[in-house]
Amino acid sequence: MTSVVLVGEVDGDGIKDVSQQVAGVAAGMGDVIGLIIGKDVSKAAMKLAAGKVVIADDEALEYYDPGRYAAIISQVVAKNNATKVLMGATTMGKDLGPRVAAELGWGYLGDCLEANNEGFVRPNFAGKVLAKSKPDGPLVASIRNNAYPAGESWSGSVENFTGDIPDSTLNTTSIEKIGAGTIELTEANIVVSGGRGLENPENYEKLIRPLAATMRAAAGASRAIVDAGWVPHSHQVGQTGKTVTPDLYLAIGISGAIQHLGGMSGSKFIAAINKDPEAPIFKVADYGIVGDLFEIVPVLKTKLENQ
Amino acid sequence: MNIAVLIKMVPDTESRLEIVDGSLKEDGFKYMVNPYDEFAVEQAVQFKEIVGGKVTLVSLFSDNTSIDTDLRKMLAIGADETIVLRQQGYRGDRPSANARILSETVKKLNADVVICGVQGIDYYQAATGPMVAHFLGIPHVSGVTNLELNGDKLTASRQIEGGLQIIETPTPILITAQKDMTKVRFPALKDIMMSKRKPFDNRDVDTKEGSDVLTTECSLPPARGGGVILEGDGPEGKVDKLIEKLKMEAKVL
Repeated sequence: MTSVVLVGEVDGDGIKDVSQQVAGVAAGMGDVIGLIIGKDVSKAAMKLAAGKVVIADDEALEYYDPGRYAAIISQVVAKNNATKVLMGATTMGKDLGPRVAAELGWGYLGDCLEANNEGFVRPNFAGKVLAKSKPDGPLVASIRNNAYPAGESWSGSVENFTGDIPDSTLNTTSIEKIGAGTIELTEANIVVSGGRGLENPENYEKLIRPLAATMRAAAGASRAIVDAGWVPHSHQVGQTGKTVTPDLYLAIGISGAIQHLGGMSGSKFIAAINKDPEAPIFKVADYGIVGDLFEIVPVLKTKLENQ
Repeated sequence: MNIAVLIKMVPDTESRLEIVDGSLKEDGFKYMVNPYDEFAVEQAVQFKEIVGGKVTLVSLFSDNTSIDTDLRKMLAIGADETIVLRQQGYRGDRPSANARILSETVKKLNADVVICGVQGIDYYQAATGPMVAHFLGIPHVSGVTNLELNGDKLTASRQIEGGLQIIETPTPILITAQKDMTKVRFPALKDIMMSKRKPFDNRDVDTKEGSDVLTTECSLPPARGGGVILEGDGPEGKVDKLIEKLKMEAKVL
């Protein structure tokens, strides 16, 4: 039987949803060895949906460090004769995956949309092309959020990592929270995005953010307004920004350039509000409203609040 | 300070993506410098302007497509020299094999800092940077939105979920650039003229074995239905229609 190392991530007292999803994927591929790395993570680690959980809990592992984390994973892989390493396509997973693959001399597939014994599918050209592969050798893969149902939490055996934690020259001095309480674009079930139709940055703050808050959604943006400096790049959806696959993508004042469509056309449902009936966004929208966003958005927000 | 910048040539974002027999048709592609790599060039030049040193561009690309004009533009920003590794049968979707070749050349440059874009806008693996760092035997920090020099150390702000991880590191280090890192300058005419006289070294390299997973089949994502415009009486009527659809059909409310 194939052994699969699943690298999970802790979120507060629990496990990140994406990690539980990947645990479900891993269970379909072989015997799962869950691995949680961090500081004071032992309690949360028990909730990882894996039959066996290895916990590397150490002062030196408080902050993500690619070299240290990769070294721990390599040791757990060797000890368990694993031939696959899976992780969520988070900022950590997408950074760690390739480093681990290089260290092990294995193949790497990043940001996979599908992963099972039939093969792997990952997006190229911001999702405008889907690339399928059937790797036969050992493999490291990171898997995108919202792609799978979460595996179920159960109590298996727990083991503490006793191997070597190498020295590192990287020194994390702090974590700066930005927009505390806001939802991450790539993890959100609903994304509310604004574009140039908003006319100025104040209107983004006045219309998009409050509507996103009401809908418990992440706030996104088109490239045009990121380039204009209205919002940071972390908000950008599209070919040079983030690719999102929420249940609902609501585009407000976005015309829908091909580079933008590439980043959001994998959404389950797309709604669009734009005054130009010819805007390309309407070609992909399941629900289009042609009209003045300055009239429509406040009405939408009020009605949603009264739900 | 010696800085190496890795440049990937990627298909222009306007390129037509057509699938023939399960493969992406690539022969009509025009190539451009990966936009994330431009931020890396700008950052390297800014450091050189502060502390002196040399900025070397290193690119691995096919042996039959001219990219001189594109790389001269990067030299006009202020980089000092370019090394282009010309490879027969080059492919952009083999990060492991490509990282091995790139790291052999970069190693000889004795760079204090290696910078490249966080990902290519073609295959989006975000893999080459961390892999090159591994083959060079140096640490890396990826997805950096702000990079500062503090004496002989660097402070990098790395984009993470909901915030930034602030990391202090000595050199040598490999950094991958996120979009906010710099704003790429428009070179002055004088710099464009000068760029034509800067060293531009084309070298032939062999293919290397890597551990890459090869794509067996490409397809276009299923076409979206779309194209539905909601009618209603004024903003109120339209919004009511939308909310009803979101509740009953999309089931997201």
